Amino acid sequence: MPNYKLVYFPGRGRAEVSRLIFKAAGVPFEDVRINTANGEWPGETKAKCPFGQMPVLFVDDKVLAQSKAIGRYLAREFNLAGKTNWDQARADMILDQFEDIGTEIYKFMFEKDAAKKAELSEKFNSETLPRHLGYLENLLKENNGGTGFFVGDSLTWADLALANAYDHLGGTDAPFANSPLLAGLIKRIRATPSVAEWISTRPQTPF
Amino acid sequence: MPNYKLVYFDGRGRGELVRLVFKAAGVPFEDVRLDDESATPTWPGEWKAKCPFGQLPTAFIDDKPLAQSKSIARYLAKEFKLAGNTNWEQARVDMIIDAIDDISTEVGKFMWLTDETKKAELREKFNAESLPRHLGNLENILKENNSGNGYFVGDSLTWADLGLVNLYDRVGGVDALFTNFPLLAALNKRVRDLPNIAAYIKARPLSPW
Repeated sequence: MPNYKLVYFPGRGRAEVSRLIFKAAGVPFEDVRINTANGEWPGETKAKCPFGQMPVLFVDDKVLAQSKAIGRYLAREFNLAGKTNWDQARADMILDQFEDIGTEIYKFMFEKDAAKKAELSEKFNSETLPRHLGYLENLLKENNGGTGFFVGDSLTWADLALANAYDHLGGTDAPFANSPLLAGLIKRIRATPSVAEWISTRPQTPF
Repeated sequence: MPNYKLVYFDGRGRGELVRLVFKAAGVPFEDVRLDDESATPTWPGEWKAKCPFGQLPTAFIDDKPLAQSKSIARYLAKEFKLAGNTNWEQARVDMIIDAIDDISTEVGKFMWLTDETKKAELREKFNAESLPRHLGNLENILKENNSGNGYFVGDSLTWADLGLVNLYDRVGGVDALFTNFPLLAALNKRVRDLPNIAAYIKARPLSPW
């Protein structure tokens, strides 16, 4: 078993899906959290990152950057990526969609003008998010009626990404009121013992 | 051989990397180009409802849909052995593709502006500050692989190398932007000179984007 070290800021952000993959797979890893506040970042860490950014994953002494590339590598190593090339592609496509939703959130998350922020947030919650969730609900339904997993008949990192999105979207059931299949899958995944234990013991962070 | 259909708009944009994967592999595909500007647009038409996320590009493999440009390209690259030979190599390819995509996204922030002065100003800033920083990182990564005289990953062509070719066009198709990045410049040229790629670049519809 290689030595795994995941390096990121002290938050869920772009590293949490990878942490969930480790936890779901039951694979130990060093969960390194680098602070900007005390100068740890950039410190000596930035120069070790291929693109000067985090997260990065060290596998023994080799380094990998880019959160989705990291997640996909781990998912494939631990058989959580999908069983065929096609299933893997369908899981990838769902991960990309979550990335797009995240991009929409970032558009207003860092907006300093309070009025503009409220306006963008309103548009996201009333139009953008429901549209995205609608597509995802349909995709889930197409897979054996949607009472199992996003892809195939076993857990993949696409399901973990959904469970993670729950937290990014506020950590309440409200956004999923009109997406019962997604809500059901989120509940199932978050109740899985390894995931439930991580959610209850991980550092509580604002992002 | 399955039946492959790529549906996108009539430009390079987010479809071109997928087209390059087909061309590099020498695999035929139906290159559907939709129009959303004319008086009789073909998008959204009947296509939008067939797309998993209502967006393009969407690929149809024997009529089964796959969305999201990078996921489509990766699926095909894996089918055609252009993705990397081990999980680690594939991850390094994915990482490079994501980094190239980040650069493309930055270009997207100014290339559609209608205010030509603002557009030129932002492009100038990008070319002077952001792009060199990004290309420097990619040059280093390339150098780490057999001194950078071959490919980005392993010892054969992967879609990461095709991603570089696509990036060159995306940032303007100008050699001057790569002057300080000789390994990238040479890799771009090597891949563009591959027979399949050269023929495609010569024959493809010219597009401003």
